[in-house]
Order: sequence, then C-alpha cells, then structure tokens
Amino acid sequence: MTPQAHSLTASLDSGTALHERALAARKLVIDMAASERGCHLGGSLSAMDIMIAALDRVAADEGSRMVLSKGHAAAGLYSALYLTGMLAENPAPLYGSVEHHYTGHPTHAVPGVTFPTGSLGHGVAYAAGWAMARRTAGADGLGIAVAGDGELQEGLVWETCQVAAARRLGNFVLVVDRNKGQNDGLVVDISPMAELAERFRSFGFDTVEVDGHDLTELSGIFARDRRDSECPLAVLADTVKGKGLPPVEGKAASHYVTIDAERAAKWKEIVR
Amino acid sequence: MTLSGRDAYRDELTHLATEDERILCLEADLGGSKHPFAAGHPDRFFNLGIAEGAMVDMAAGLAAAGYKPFVSTFAPFAALRAAESVKLSLGYFGAGVTIVAPYAGVAGAWFGTTHQCLEDFAVLRGIPGIVVAAPHGEEEMRAVVRGAAVSDRPHYIRTGRNAKPASLPRPATGIPLVNWEHVPEESDEVCLVSVGETGTELALRAREAHPALAHAHLCFVDHHHLQQAADELSARYHRFVVVEEHRPDGGVASALALLMPGCTVHTVNAGHEWLSCGGDHAEVLTQLGMDLPAVLEAVERCRSNHPPLVKKGT
Repeated sequence: MTPQAHSLTASLDSGTALHERALAARKLVIDMAASERGCHLGGSLSAMDIMIAALDRVAADEGSRMVLSKGHAAAGLYSALYLTGMLAENPAPLYGSVEHHYTGHPTHAVPGVTFPTGSLGHGVAYAAGWAMARRTAGADGLGIAVAGDGELQEGLVWETCQVAAARRLGNFVLVVDRNKGQNDGLVVDISPMAELAERFRSFGFDTVEVDGHDLTELSGIFARDRRDSECPLAVLADTVKGKGLPPVEGKAASHYVTIDAERAAKWKEIVR
Repeated sequence: MTLSGRDAYRDELTHLATEDERILCLEADLGGSKHPFAAGHPDRFFNLGIAEGAMVDMAAGLAAAGYKPFVSTFAPFAALRAAESVKLSLGYFGAGVTIVAPYAGVAGAWFGTTHQCLEDFAVLRGIPGIVVAAPHGEEEMRAVVRGAAVSDRPHYIRTGRNAKPASLPRPATGIPLVNWEHVPEESDEVCLVSVGETGTELALRAREAHPALAHAHLCFVDHHHLQQAADELSARYHRFVVVEEHRPDGGVASALALLMPGCTVHTVNAGHEWLSCGGDHAEVLTQLGMDLPAVLEAVERCRSNHPPLVKKGT
C-alpha cells in the first residue's frame, strides 16, 4: 500500500488565536533561557511565528510535515509544539535535564519532532524527501523546512534546492528565517547572500518575501496545497532576532542567553 | 550467466518492485543509462543527480512517508561524502533506507583513489543500528537485497564493480551468520575468515592450496551480527586469518580480535598506503599487499604462532 492522500482534517486557526499561541510560547522560551542550561533565545523568538503558523497547518493535515532545520531553535520548537497541542507536557521545566528528551537540538524522541536536526542543512533535505513522497503517491501535503539565513551557507541546502527544483516538487516549502544573525555575528559580515530571492528564482523556485512575524500572511501561505505548482516555494521571511522581547530584539548577543529567574519574570511581563 | 554484485542488485530490486509498490530506486547519476529498474518501473526510478548527501536525507523523508527507498552510489560517496547524512538518517533516525555501494575497496582500480573506498566498514560499523553487508556472488547479493526489502531496518550493502565471483553454496533457508564453506576433519587447523568479494576469492584460493585450512565466510559484518558470529567462530577454532579488502582500522579483523579475546586473529588487509598508480583490480590489490602469497604467509605466521598483527584484546 502506498502512502495515501489526506485532506485537511481541521480548520486553521485565526491570526488572533495564533498570536496568543505565539505569545504563550515565547514565555516558555524565556523560562528555558532561565534554566540551568540557557537556550538559543534570539533564533527561537525570530522563528516562533513561522513555526506557529506552519504547525497550525501540520496539526490540521496529516499529509504535511514541518522540520525545524535550524535545530538550535529547539526551545522555540518545543514551545510551539506544546502550544499547538502536538506535545502533551510543558517542556520548559524539563528542558536540558538528564531524564528528559528536551535536548539543546531537537531529537525525534520528542513527540512532534519530525527529524533530528542541529547539524545544518539536513532538515531541508528531509522535508524535500517528504514532499517527494507525497507527490509520488499522488497525494496532497507539504514538506515544510524552516531554515536560518546563516544556514544557507551550507552546501547541502543548495544541493537539495537543485534536486527539489529538478523533481518539480511544488509542495516543498523552504522558509528562510531571515533574522540576519548567525553564531559569530551578522550574516552580512561573515558570508552575505546578495540577491537571495533572485538566487532562489534562478534555481527554479517560486519566491515570496514576507514579514516573518505576520501570522495572518504566514498562515495564508501554509494553507495553500500547491497541488498544481511544479516549482518549490522559497518563503523569505524577514524576522527580528529576539522578536517580541524589547531588551534583546535585533541584538546579536541574544543568540544564546542564560538568565536568572528574576529577569525571566520581568521579561515575561513585557514580552509581546 | 553470473551477474556482478551491482547488476544482481539492480535485477533483484526490479523484480521485487513488481510485487511491492513501496520500493523506490534512487541513484545519484551513477546508475547508468540502461538501469533495469528505470525500464521496469519508470515512475519509481529517480536519478536525483550528483547530490549524495541530499539523496540520503531525502530517502529518510520518503521512508517516513511509507516508502522503501533503495539508494545507490559509489562507496566513497555513500560512506564518506554522505557520512553525516548516513549517521543522522539511517543511524540515529533509523530510517528504513538501504544504501547499495559499488566500487567498495579498490574495485575502481585505475580510476584512482577518489573512486576507491577502503574506509567504509570503519564508518558504517561505527554507526549503531545499520545492518552492514558485504555479499559475495550473485546469489548472496540477491538474498541480502530480498532481506532488506522486507526489513524496516537501515542497510548498507557493499559490493565491487564488475567482478562476477561464483556464488558459494549456502543453506536454502537464507544467509547464515557464519557460512562454513569448508571444515576439515582436523579441528586444530587455522580458520580463514573471508569478507566481501575479494576476501572470499582469496580465501578460496588459499584453501585450495592448503585443503586442511578451514574457511568461514561472513556476509553481515555490523557489530550486532559479528558479536554472534564471534561466538560461533570461537566455539570451533582459536586461530584465525581474516581476509578483507579494507584498511586494518575499523575492519572486521580488528572487531573480531576484540570480540574473541581468547583467540589469535591475524589479518590480510589493504594496509595504510595511498596509491597513485594505475592497474587493474588484481594489480592494485597486489600493490596493497592483498594477494594469495600474502594470505599464505599470514596463515603460516598464524600456524607458527608468531605475534599477531592485531593483538588479542586490543
């Protein structure tokens, strides 16, 4: 029996509901930053709205999968999975502890985590494989990868883009969390990517540039099945590192943060 | 007509796919223009282009969606270039993906070092959870492919280029843990342990030269299988010469030496050299010290109880 077609089994939530979900998830990320381990705060918050919108689609459609390829935003992924209802327990108090699976980069031992990521680029290829499976089966369903803009420096990303375009995987959606930062500084200072949209178009992708924090627009993109499209889709989502938390927004130092409980309490009051 | 290992794989998979529509065949531009699977099942044959790492990770996505992907590219590109994808997708994630890797060892011969792979056992055996097979002959290759197709486990299947060794006799029930190709009446003799096409052919020739030698052939060489094989081997013999087309590091001999601390394990392998010259497969093997005289010399060393090349328990 080959994989079967599935249709959306539940309706997608409104932008307001998604915003409330994202806000609650951001507070959990702050809790994880206040853990003994700390967490990748800036990237978790920049990718949060993308993940909330994508997981809303995945929760309503068993034929779609989302992979967080920039696995260092694991704290954000665990929070988003929990708030979307795909993870039963609150991961924040368990994050990084020895008896639980909430590692600093995601493992598939956590319910809802599709593929183990953290070594950059692999999640992009996995999502393309999922999309290829749906197309081969004649079924709907998206393979969605959420990558970082720094991650685009990995050759595997472009190797996969070449294959996805050649295979005409119109249901493969690569979302670039364009927060402009990477581990050691700014993307523009380390290895800039000029004309990114044109670069994807030259590979044979459809492209769309969006505000990566506009949940209504993101939700609209993920709601489309793209069954008639033969071009993969690159979503260039402009985001802000540390989004929603004014003290760290746009600051490179937000990449990895460890805070105390007192600061976490203050930040949870002002996060938006 | 006997088929080479890679042709036997292609033919067997093409037949299996007739009955099992979940089987997919993926290539990275080294499948040739006359691949039988492409002719038999064009809607399930995919040449993804020269993209080995992407192919392996994409295969994990295909497997997660319910398919049985068989991916093939030359051993150096599968085991080394795509090593991290293999670790994550087949090892850690445990995707039911089968990799078939021709050009293992120095079967690529005059094509040069880039097209040889004497390190794949070390890489693949170091990644828990993957079934590692080195079949010898058409029938064993067919049996391994059939087994992989009904298994949910990840597989790595190593083979050569165009060599067509005659298949060894084996039980009709499948591939034994240890295929005792020859057990002489004298039980205190040295036992040859052969791995892969070259190792097995050399062992057969050595056994013909010295009929008193025992010969055990191993097809599956991952840690799980070798653990059990070691028990069976050491129950019968205590002096072994392992013949394998691989570097000494991370190969089967070093694993067996660890698994059989009470036994003496000698090895004939491809050594540590980098070659940069031509020649056919046999000529390259000779330059690496893998020929019949080397095997006979190792047997004699083992018999004389000279210090083993691979020390016990190290």
